[in-house]
Amino acid sequence: MAIDSTAGGGARAVCRRLCFCLAALVATGSLRAASAETDGWQLLSGYLFRDAYDAFTRQPVSADRARALGEAASLLNHPPVTAGKIERTEAQLRQLIAADGTDDTAMYARLLLARIVHLHRPAEIAEVETAYRAVIQANSSHPLAQVAAGKLALVYLYQRPDLSVPQRLAAAAELAPVAGTGFLPETACAYYRALAGAALFYNVLDAQVLAWLHRADAIGTQDVLVAASLRIQLAEAARALGRREEALAAYHRFLESILPTDNRFRTARERMEELEASP
Amino acid sequence: MTRIRPMTLLAGVILVGLFVFSAGRLFQNKAGVVVSPDVEVIRFAHWQLEPGVREAFAAIAADYTALHPKVKVEQMDIPSRTWKQWLRTQLVGGTPPDLIELAAYENPDDMLARYFTPVTAYLEEKNPYNDDEPDLRGRSWRESYAAELIPTPDGMGSYYNSNLLEYYGAPNTLITVRMFYNRNLLKAALGEERVPRTFDEFVTLCEALQSYAKKTGQPITPLAGSVFNITKITDTLFYTVTQRLAIELDYSLNLELSGHELLIQYVRRKWSLHTPAVRASLQTVEAFGRFLPPGWVQLGREDGMLQFLQGRAAMLATGTWDAGGILMQADFPVGAFKMPSFRRDDPRYGPGTLGRTSEAATFAALSFGLTRASKHPERAIDFLRFLTSRKSNTKFARISKWLPVIKGVPMPVEAEPFQPVLDGYIGGVNMRGLGMRGANAFLQYLHLLSGKEASADRFIEAIEPLCDLGAGEELAHIARVTLTTLRQRDSVLAGLYRQNNASGLARTKFDRLAASQLDSEAQRLQGLRTLEDN
Repeated sequence: MAIDSTAGGGARAVCRRLCFCLAALVATGSLRAASAETDGWQLLSGYLFRDAYDAFTRQPVSADRARALGEAASLLNHPPVTAGKIERTEAQLRQLIAADGTDDTAMYARLLLARIVHLHRPAEIAEVETAYRAVIQANSSHPLAQVAAGKLALVYLYQRPDLSVPQRLAAAAELAPVAGTGFLPETACAYYRALAGAALFYNVLDAQVLAWLHRADAIGTQDVLVAASLRIQLAEAARALGRREEALAAYHRFLESILPTDNRFRTARERMEELEASP
Repeated sequence: MTRIRPMTLLAGVILVGLFVFSAGRLFQNKAGVVVSPDVEVIRFAHWQLEPGVREAFAAIAADYTALHPKVKVEQMDIPSRTWKQWLRTQLVGGTPPDLIELAAYENPDDMLARYFTPVTAYLEEKNPYNDDEPDLRGRSWRESYAAELIPTPDGMGSYYNSNLLEYYGAPNTLITVRMFYNRNLLKAALGEERVPRTFDEFVTLCEALQSYAKKTGQPITPLAGSVFNITKITDTLFYTVTQRLAIELDYSLNLELSGHELLIQYVRRKWSLHTPAVRASLQTVEAFGRFLPPGWVQLGREDGMLQFLQGRAAMLATGTWDAGGILMQADFPVGAFKMPSFRRDDPRYGPGTLGRTSEAATFAALSFGLTRASKHPERAIDFLRFLTSRKSNTKFARISKWLPVIKGVPMPVEAEPFQPVLDGYIGGVNMRGLGMRGANAFLQYLHLLSGKEASADRFIEAIEPLCDLGAGEELAHIARVTLTTLRQRDSVLAGLYRQNNASGLARTKFDRLAASQLDSEAQRLQGLRTLEDN
């Protein structure tokens, strides 16, 4: 018995050791996989698409959805970019959504699909609109829905020649509840600037344009060059609309916060002085 | 037995000799880099072979070594002609120096991301080598720069990358363009040394110099030739004569006519080469073009410089990067002035002008970036801090005659005329911005604006069809190039989203790049809409 028991204990010990080794191997493997994934995102954000793809595919394919998204995102720009790779990316993204359409990964997959349809392969504008709408409809209170709404606004502003200019502006402005939210303030600021920019491009300057510029200014941006341009746009737009006091206040604000590398100081000051001198 | 012919023998001897010489040089160089293992070697590379720059860097490197005896600083000056190949080889081979000069056109995004370390975090720390400066002591390294390293509006600056949203370099100087002149010749021609304050005075000066040459029989021309130098003059004149037109064409109402707006408004036929201000800008070239030396269009930049240094031309327009070389090599006293502008009451050129253009947006240059392969990154950053401290930048400006870039560095007397003009107006319309085809056509037909038969109208007639074609092509080309960047950013944003999402996305790199992508996309679509509608 003793012998048996010792033999059984030894076998258990061996088993335990084996289990431990297996667990250690699995843990190491997981750690390596996690590290490869972290590296992958890092490389992807640094424009190193081939390296990112290698990092995401270093480990055998698993059920890790985030890694699969990383693989698809890096494949999209894997050099040389080919129609075949874009097709594969699209298929992978559709699989991700089909497997589980509710999580954050699916949300990003939808956005990437919309971007592929819009910019990476030829498509009808109706398909582009549907793809962006799909992101917004999946969860309109999501930062990625905000990104999609901003892009959809550009489609209305510039890629719907069948609409009149006022209709283009109105359709883009209707997206404000999603595109102008606070999840991504820089993106919201860019959206309002895009609305005003399109109106000015079409030679439309009215109170609504000024309001969009004010909204962008109120949200603010960390980009000091964009912020400075917004301030002078407010002054020039108010001046063109005959809002003298508002224009003067905006000129003052622009001049007080002028950047040392801004060439516009003297020109803006002179225009302000002209306005001050006018009745 | 076959006899070896003497010529073959001679060739063989030369070949062997060359081999031995090369091997010897190689061995010498190898021997040169062997240093004690406890000595850190920092190498920095640049392409500024202009006289004065290498000497300035060498002096600062010697100061650093005196302060840190266990550090050896090696300067590597690589000719600009071989820079591109050299850079690629070094980076790919994994043997780059610690610090490398950066330029946006030489360092694409993927190169910066792969081979260089962002220095954003370092720049927000203090520069310990400014500890003795009471006004800089409390400021960050970035804030010690005169313009605090504000990014360039076009994202093309050497120190900041607007796609990667990171600083990659620490610059050392500013660059402006000036008219250098031979003081002796100016005095001899005018009877006194008086630099022109208006364009008319400039033309009068050219006339006086030409008369002086004729009278004395000396082979002197008023202006040194070469397209490179002359376009420095034409750019300044174009920007000044058309300032009011720029405000009219600036549909985004930000008092800044971008290259994008310039093209769009041309395709929309809001301006043309016949627009009075544009025609007047070409007539300015017609006015001084008759003083250019014969065959100047064929001359290179070096020829122009040689003409000036040999005293065969009285004036030379060039960037301040040539200042050190001119001041050191000219055996006559040299002065410099900014190309004069026009009076508003000038009957011919005045209607479209506001006044001299501002140079506030003169961005810092000669930036050094830290390579990822650096064996001593902290030491390399320390040397970079030393190099761009107030004391070292003072020394750099004094020896090189280049403009300083750090707050409070005294301007060397010789560099005073190169100081950027801050109190000026916005720039106007430059027809050279009409894309590659337009720019090439401009150079091809520039000779029509020079010589006795100079005629702006003939020039316009020759160049206009090419500009009409070129502007649309350029918009389409920009749309194609932007599309590549936009597509790449789709993948990049996915990476940033995963990295930034954990602690909220507001104002993160993801948010900032998504906003920037929306801007670029809108601009691209404006170009495409314009092409479709016109």
